[in-house]
Amino acid sequence: MSAGPAGPAPWDAAPHCEAHAGCITCGDTAVPMRVRRVDADRVLALCEDPEGRRSSVEIALVEPVAVGDALLVHAGTAIGRAP
Amino acid sequence: MRYVEEFRDAELGRALAGEILAAVEPGRHYKLMEVCGGHTHSIYKYGIDDLLPANVELVHGPGCPVCVIPMGRVDDGIAIAHRPGVIFTCFGDMMRIPGSDGSLQDAKAAGADVRMVYSPLDALRIAKANPDRDVVFFAIGFETTAPSTALTLRRAKAEGVRNFFCMCNHVTIVPPLRALLDSPDLRLDGFIGPGHVSTVVGARPFEFIPADYGKPIVVAGFEPLDVLHAVHMILRQLAEGRCEVENQYSRVVPYDGNLRALEVLAEVFELRPHFEWRGMGFISQSGLKLSAAYAAFDAELRYEVPGVRVADPKACQCGEVLKGVIKPWECKVFGTACTPERPIGTCMVSSEGACAAYYNFGRFAREREVV
Repeated sequence: MSAGPAGPAPWDAAPHCEAHAGCITCGDTAVPMRVRRVDADRVLALCEDPEGRRSSVEIALVEPVAVGDALLVHAGTAIGRAP
Repeated sequence: MRYVEEFRDAELGRALAGEILAAVEPGRHYKLMEVCGGHTHSIYKYGIDDLLPANVELVHGPGCPVCVIPMGRVDDGIAIAHRPGVIFTCFGDMMRIPGSDGSLQDAKAAGADVRMVYSPLDALRIAKANPDRDVVFFAIGFETTAPSTALTLRRAKAEGVRNFFCMCNHVTIVPPLRALLDSPDLRLDGFIGPGHVSTVVGARPFEFIPADYGKPIVVAGFEPLDVLHAVHMILRQLAEGRCEVENQYSRVVPYDGNLRALEVLAEVFELRPHFEWRGMGFISQSGLKLSAAYAAFDAELRYEVPGVRVADPKACQCGEVLKGVIKPWECKVFGTACTPERPIGTCMVSSEGACAAYYNFGRFAREREVV
């Protein structure tokens, strides 16, 4: 679902949700992601999903977080901690 | 990640199916609603309904935010997208939702600058990179998604971004559930509660379901064993004559929710007096708009929006599907005139939509369902 830094910009990609994977942004589902880097001043963390795709994640709802923590991420925001 | 494979174990699934069979009363028909589109998706993806006894019926609820958006709101979004200088951003599923005259995707083809984003934060980033353009984010979703919009608006305010606007279509889960329970069309025995909405709001807001309506609700996770376990917990409650809120997904959902999320929601949003839901009409206090403190970011105040109410297409029976009155395949246009490639109704668009989930994973089980 998420475009890597080298791929086309997300808004240029075909606007198509993977029916088999579910839509991570607009459904009521969150994906587990692992924290790779924390920018506490900007309340952001660089996180990686199980497929190795990385994105910036808002961490205001789950702070403090540390590298290696597992978060449940929905629409770019960590809404909880993954077990 | 741990806690995934464990919840997809086929052996445990079969054992749980046996326990479910043992918990049902022969001759009684059970109608359980899964509120959330994520559950609908899991049920079809993993074939969960094939593991259930024939007298346990799962009906789909109104929990797909894309599906419940009325056509008039899509038209309003398209009107904003066509304004000169506007960059219009939205989630991927939203781009294909038909308005009365085409979708946002069609508007993009016609020259509007419509861009798909994965998060409101992406939309804010576009705004910061294009300070001479207005960037509008079409916000949609239940309480799972609303905190993300709220935090982004709080961030935009703190950073003094002045060209970022939000067209707010966020909705809340409790009012439509109450509307469903008040509706004479449905006789439900219990609910599978939404897992990730509850991560934000907690399980407590659902206490009205057992208290006022005498029905059990079990908040559940999204893996196949989660859903089976929740069905078993509901059937146990019914067998033992109990009705209460139970939390199957306690590994993620705190009973009181995420207090910081509730705080930011209260700061950024306020309830609209009423909001229109596709197929369900206007429901009181079911939609959110930006609070006075965030009025400067409100796209509906920044632009004149037509605000026209558009009736759903005649052939489309999304309303009945969303209320669980009919199954997706009972709709006249399912799989013929209405497909994921050329959707007529919203339920066929999002992968969380009951019709799309059924079309993609379940259509071949149709004969079995008819019997």
